[in-house]
Amino acid sequence: MKKALSMILVLVMVTAMFAGCGSAKPAETTAKPAETTAAPAETTAAPAETTEAPVAEYPEGKVFNIYAWNEEFKGFFEKYYTVPEGVTVNWIITPSDGGAYQEKLDQALLAQEGASDDDKVDLFLAEADYITKYTNSPLTQDITKLGVTDFSNTYAYTVQCASDGEGVVKGVSFQCCPSALIYRRSIAKDVLGTDDPAEVQAALSDWSKFNDVAAQAKAKGYYMTSSEAETYRVFSNNAAEAWVDADNNLQIPEAIKTWMAQAKEYTDNGYTLTCDIWSEECTAQMFAEGKTMCFFGPAWYYNFCMGNAQDPEKGCYGDWAICEGPQAHFWGGTWLLAPVGTDNPTMVAEIMNQFINDEETCSNLVKNEMQFSNNQAVNAKFANDPDFGNAFLGGQNDTALYCELSKNIVFENHTHYDQVINEKLQACWREYCDGEVTEDQALANFYALINENYPTIVTP
Amino acid sequence: MQTTKSKPRVKRKKGISYAKWGYLFILPFFLAYCIFSLAPQVLTIYNSFFENYREGLMQVGPKFVGLQNYVKLFTPDKNGSISILKFAANTMVMWVEGAVPQVLIALLLSVFFTSYRLKIRGQQFFKTVIYMPNLIMASAFSMLFFTLFSNVGPVNQLIMYFGWSEEVIPFFDKQVTVRGLVATMNFLMWFGNTTILLMAGIMGIDQTLFEAANLDGANSLQVFFKVTLPLLMPVLVYTIITALIGGLQMFDVPQVLTNGAGTPNRSSTTLIMYLNNFLKTSKNYGMAGAVSVIIFVITGLLSILVFKSLTKDDD
Repeated sequence: MKKALSMILVLVMVTAMFAGCGSAKPAETTAKPAETTAAPAETTAAPAETTEAPVAEYPEGKVFNIYAWNEEFKGFFEKYYTVPEGVTVNWIITPSDGGAYQEKLDQALLAQEGASDDDKVDLFLAEADYITKYTNSPLTQDITKLGVTDFSNTYAYTVQCASDGEGVVKGVSFQCCPSALIYRRSIAKDVLGTDDPAEVQAALSDWSKFNDVAAQAKAKGYYMTSSEAETYRVFSNNAAEAWVDADNNLQIPEAIKTWMAQAKEYTDNGYTLTCDIWSEECTAQMFAEGKTMCFFGPAWYYNFCMGNAQDPEKGCYGDWAICEGPQAHFWGGTWLLAPVGTDNPTMVAEIMNQFINDEETCSNLVKNEMQFSNNQAVNAKFANDPDFGNAFLGGQNDTALYCELSKNIVFENHTHYDQVINEKLQACWREYCDGEVTEDQALANFYALINENYPTIVTP
Repeated sequence: MQTTKSKPRVKRKKGISYAKWGYLFILPFFLAYCIFSLAPQVLTIYNSFFENYREGLMQVGPKFVGLQNYVKLFTPDKNGSISILKFAANTMVMWVEGAVPQVLIALLLSVFFTSYRLKIRGQQFFKTVIYMPNLIMASAFSMLFFTLFSNVGPVNQLIMYFGWSEEVIPFFDKQVTVRGLVATMNFLMWFGNTTILLMAGIMGIDQTLFEAANLDGANSLQVFFKVTLPLLMPVLVYTIITALIGGLQMFDVPQVLTNGAGTPNRSSTTLIMYLNNFLKTSKNYGMAGAVSVIIFVITGLLSILVFKSLTKDDD
């Protein structure tokens, strides 16, 4: 009896243990080897699929998975897109800090082939900084074959940016992102004696004037910018060379070197705070009590990143305006891309078409969401409407200015390494600006980080 | 009839080997260990000899490269510094800063709690409270400290309010404060655990020895150094070695506190954070494998060293 009992106990224990293993094992130990061996197989298999993908007779899936790094597009999607009945939309949102979003997305895309229909990525979002990684990959598909063919109203660069080396269009953007100088009206009045966009622009139209105004602002107790990296994109998106040359050598573009010098100078002169542009410290400057005069960004910036300025109690809604600033540039933008293997191709095409070609949706984006849409006709309509104004900018017609600025956008010299490189350079250089490390050490740290992140890049 | 039948039964009972039950009971552990610890460990060592990473969405390798990953790890950069040594030093410095007060305070508390003379009241309460920080997830704890000590956080607000400093103190821009915060957090999280372990150790010592010492006129300090400490040594060594192994694998606290950057000047980057950098963007299993093998070797060597130095007197 005792023997039987102990035997049973042992059996129970062992089975309980293996029951526990059963669920844990596939997730942990087997996942890794599978990934490494599966990856090469997939890269060869995928091109074959691109030609088959447009077949529209795929039964539409019940689950629509969208990968994104923030809630921006989710908001527009939920407001303006009517999800077909019976389809559940899943948002898989991972912040892009330190490349975390790409990591998550890559894992899903590489496992796409073997995933069940409900787990497949149906649509994903990508930024200008790394979009080439996905457009040049056989894991994304030609959207013209899905039925997204009318690009007559979109801005040319948004299509170019979403195309692979051979001009196959893989995605669309719902926004166009010319970037402007966003300034506090009250501070501009105090420093320059005017808050009129034309006059402020005249005072800030090149970098030497910008420096002069920075000195004046400092004299009155203000900061010109809230972070030394605030002006980074003005330089980086005008760079004449890419971060990595044809032989995979890392090179610091001249434009970035100019920014590096400016960042140090501004920090030493006390024209700016030193902090990450996404940090709490930086965004705290957007409250009414903030002391910063200038920010740089496109329409999505004040819409999405200046929540503090729009705070009903501590904010300063309406105390802002935009002008071109010292140098025309663009910044970011979100593209919707179609992965190979989606089981909802019709819905993917429908969403893409709606956000670039549907007049009502694009108008709503401009009118209600303070966006600059990717539809030239809609934007022109608002730009020429004398009654249209953005209340956040004190009634200024920002769309009119963005229409002008959008003509300057050139999308070139980008690599898929840009996001991580931009992020690491800013972080390492900030330590030098703060006087924590020497210039040599800052660069050495930067190079080391690049080596850790990208084994193929050769650093000086 | 009955008697003849029962005889062989008795004999059979005598022949039962209870040892096999013991083996059966420990079998689950060994199976689990082989599957979840030993196999990954062997695979890691194996992987460290391969070039195996992702370039964009393309897989490169695995290709056998011999010791190349190790050579890369120990190749000095232009300024002559070797990253992995720097990060190993960072890890050790932060561990020592946390572990020394951790062990000292834990020793003190465990002696207080077990003293039959002091008879501290509400022991259960204190034991629970000091163990509490260990129950919080390290990353949550770290996030809390990050918020508390940020440039716009409550600690800086308090400092400004009381006028202790004219300017905001940038806690996360200074090597001393970042390392200090990491050490403090590790200390707070682990001293309770160490106290409980040491208490168990002290309670395992024969009480008559303490009484005898007291009768012979030994004071508290003498009792501690001549009786408690030598007899506690095995437990203390165990505690220190496990803390050391945990310390070498320090990751979540500095990672979350510095938002993955290990700043300033990478002085709070630990070995595992370094390893994580290889895995993050490029899934560089080769280099990451080499780093973990080195961590394994360092852990082994240091454990032997600590063990030898602390048990020397016993031999």
